[in-house]
Amino acid sequence: MIDVIDLKKKFGSTEVLKGINVTIEKGDIVVVIGPSGSGKSTFLRCLNCMEDPTGGSIIFNGVDIADMSVDINIHRRHMGMVFQHFNLFNNKTVIENIMLAPVHVRCQEMKAARRKRIFGSGKSSSGEARLPTRAQIRAGAREEALALLRRIGLEDKADVYPSTLSGGQKQRVAIVRSLAMNPDVILFDEPTSALDPEMVGEVLDLMKSLAKEGMTMVIVTHEMGFAREVANRVLFMDGGTILESAPPEEFFTSPKHARTREFLSKVL
Amino acid sequence: MGNFGNKWNKFVEIFLLQNGYVKVLEGLQNTLLIAVCGLIAGILIGTVIATVRVIPKYKRLPRILNAVCSFYVGLFRGTPMVVQLLVFYYVLLPLLGVKMTGVQVSIMVFGLNSGAYISEIMRSGIQSVDPGQLEAGRAVGLSFSTSMLEIVIPQAVKNILPTLGNEFIALIKETSVVSFVGAADLYVAFSFIGSNSYEFMVPYLVMAAIYIVLVLFISLLVAVMERSLKKSDRRN
Ligand SMILES: Nc1ncnc2c1ncn2[C@@H]1O[C@H](COP(=O)(O)OP(=O)(O)OP(=O)(O)O)[C@@H](O)[C@H]1O
Ligand SMILES: [Mg+2]
Repeated sequence: MIDVIDLKKKFGSTEVLKGINVTIEKGDIVVVIGPSGSGKSTFLRCLNCMEDPTGGSIIFNGVDIADMSVDINIHRRHMGMVFQHFNLFNNKTVIENIMLAPVHVRCQEMKAARRKRIFGSGKSSSGEARLPTRAQIRAGAREEALALLRRIGLEDKADVYPSTLSGGQKQRVAIVRSLAMNPDVILFDEPTSALDPEMVGEVLDLMKSLAKEGMTMVIVTHEMGFAREVANRVLFMDGGTILESAPPEEFFTSPKHARTREFLSKVL
Repeated sequence: MGNFGNKWNKFVEIFLLQNGYVKVLEGLQNTLLIAVCGLIAGILIGTVIATVRVIPKYKRLPRILNAVCSFYVGLFRGTPMVVQLLVFYYVLLPLLGVKMTGVQVSIMVFGLNSGAYISEIMRSGIQSVDPGQLEAGRAVGLSFSTSMLEIVIPQAVKNILPTLGNEFIALIKETSVVSFVGAADLYVAFSFIGSNSYEFMVPYLVMAAIYIVLVLFISLLVAVMERSLKKSDRRN
């Protein structure tokens, strides 16, 4: 689903990613670990071009999205992203946070379809389905958003603002916000690092349930237990390259690289 | 005090009997029209400029736009409002062959002028919003402009509302120079009453009182708006 080929990223003159090659298949759960400053976040942010790569390609569903001429917004709709600090929209209620992108995208599509009918080839439109109105789009998105909130047990929080939620609740809302677009893959950058310890579990549980449903996920985390349990591949990054990539059992029990062993001895 | 009573009576006579109140209402209307329209135009212009100035600048077009915007902001912040009014009314418009009334010119100049100031206010407002907000918008596939409009600018406006209120108050006060280009504002109205009664003390005192009431009213309005916008900050 995602083919990363010789991905490079420079900030000014410092090269942070020095040629990364990874293939992520549908249903993969890839956990990325590595010391601080090794380029894990940068790698993740390059996958959906939040940082523009300075070299190499990222083939996502057959399109090289590292190419600056593609409309990245269209491809990002198929890639969710979950941030360390949640980044819920502070000026929107919980449910509006979830509805914003779906409503916006569907309204855009509806307007494009309408333009096409008005200006397009003048063939009869009697057989075509009626276009939904903005109100119908909103109502539909609201139902879906409520279903997502029900899934995380926060239906009663639909109309409050994010500032009233706990960290764990915020992160769970952020996760279902990315689910609302039915993404092909979700990228997580240390989703539990900013949480109080007692809230880590609820977020990891939600991620596990996504994993069970077959969601493709790329996760940067320091939760080694979670990596071991859920991942089907663990990548170890150091100094802007992937030093080691293996299934979790093999990765944690018999790491090949000396740097990996050293890192694991510190964190385990 | 008897002297003051006399003056007061003269003022009342002209205000009520010689249609002074019509002039005052007209002046008040023009003052408010110029300040309100100037503020609205200023917010629109200022938001666009502030947005241009925060766009990442790897590409050429944003860089050129940014240069144009900073030139504009420098020009309007670097000259007094009166000078801008005079230049537009007596230099630019005649050169372009455009005819506009004093009030129209004033609205235009006030809009352009406050646009320059508000762009700086708005820019600091935008910069006060956590960059993660824009990132989250972009990450769900919204364009830069949609993310700005839906997410960043509403939060920026909330942060700068008190400053915008001050800008509006400053605009109201600055309208007192529009008579330079023949717009009939409060000053013109009270001067009319003053020169008809050969008595300026009471008219200008009343004028000052009207300005103060306007300013207090706006401050109150801003406070109420701030409170209602704070609701997304409150825990409940
Ligand atoms: N926007 C930026 N501008 C300049 N340098 C950057 C930028 N973002 C990251 N870097 C640098 O790139 C390197 C890798 O950063 P990155 O955030 O990807 O590391 P990380 O592996 O995620 O670390 P951590 O575990 O601390 O989150 C660091 O040295 C960092 O200083
Ligand atoms: Mg990081």
